[in-house]
Amino acid sequence: MNPSPARTAARVLEALGKGERIYTAVVTDAADRSMIGRRWWRSGRRHGGTLGSPSLDAEVAAALPSLFPPRESRGALSRDFEYRDGGREGNARVYIELHGPPARLVIVGAGHIAIPLARLGDMLGLRVEVLDDRADFAAAERFPEAAAVRVIDFRDPFAETPLAPHDHVVLVTRGHSFDYECLIRLLRMPRPPHYVGMIGSRRRVRATHEQLLRDGFTTEEMSRVRAPVGLDLGGQTPVEIAVSVAAEIVMFHSGGSGVPLVEKERVVERFFAHRSPGAATPSRSTTG
Amino acid sequence: MDEKELLARLAGLEEPAVLATIVSAKGSTPRKTGARMLVGAGGVIAGTVGGGCGEGEVIEAALELFRGGSPRTVRVDLTDELVSWSPAVCGGIMDVFIERANPDRFTAS
Repeated sequence: MNPSPARTAARVLEALGKGERIYTAVVTDAADRSMIGRRWWRSGRRHGGTLGSPSLDAEVAAALPSLFPPRESRGALSRDFEYRDGGREGNARVYIELHGPPARLVIVGAGHIAIPLARLGDMLGLRVEVLDDRADFAAAERFPEAAAVRVIDFRDPFAETPLAPHDHVVLVTRGHSFDYECLIRLLRMPRPPHYVGMIGSRRRVRATHEQLLRDGFTTEEMSRVRAPVGLDLGGQTPVEIAVSVAAEIVMFHSGGSGVPLVEKERVVERFFAHRSPGAATPSRSTTG
Repeated sequence: MDEKELLARLAGLEEPAVLATIVSAKGSTPRKTGARMLVGAGGVIAGTVGGGCGEGEVIEAALELFRGGSPRTVRVDLTDELVSWSPAVCGGIMDVFIERANPDRFTAS
């Protein structure tokens, strides 16, 4: 059954109450007039309703990240889409709304990695917030892209930064004891941020996990922390490390594997392995 | 009435109502895309899509849905009101989508 505006409003209020983002979409014009008024909503992995065409549902869902940067908390716009389901195709005008808190990148530790990471987070459309207990580091002029820069006390690091499940937290403080203080507070939240990363060498990460076990955390809880944070790019400079963290955040959102595309697609191996100079092109059946 | 209050009103509707939403707006329209108004059989229940500027047209179109009309987009052109005597000076074009807010509360007519 098509979700009515009244029921969809109830869904939106429910999502807002939980601090979750929700998108709603409704067909406001279409050549196929039976589609007008068809509606769906999406919040995380949950969704309901349809715009009356599976390909239109998919087209609209795929366009959401480019239509609404994650740092935005409210949006409303109309766009024209094409749909094609078997022999049925056409255009539809769809009105889309976004409700919900912005997705943030909270960087704890305002040191040399935080500077390029704040810039990259902003470029990815996240609302960037930087925290440190040193006022000369947590200074707004060092982070022109950040929406907020706060001087904090590591005894209660997130006191002024209430976190939501769709937020991202990267711990890059000057000392592992500070990272650890933040980490246990994050893990004890009833609804922790979905992305929590902590920088560190294998040895330091292992020491952190041993400490977590001693403090009563389970291995399941420990495995929620991305430590060491970032993809294995081999970079060493602050900018290179920030790129590796930003790349992991993109992978986390987009569901990628992090594997180089050349290895994933193996185009030469799959399509050209049997081809030697002068040989015939391999038949299609061998290309699967 | 702020947006959240209007959503709560919409979610808790007892009587049949029509929802009018500005789905696109160009120029100096008094309300922007996303603004909403709820219209009952007897007139406006809550919200606004712009007061004097074109709202009457939207209310009339909304009332048609109580008489069996289909959901549709109404284009409201406010550019010609610039020369009118109306104190509300508006000069834009907006599309307002009109649909039944709670179809299950509408009895077959």
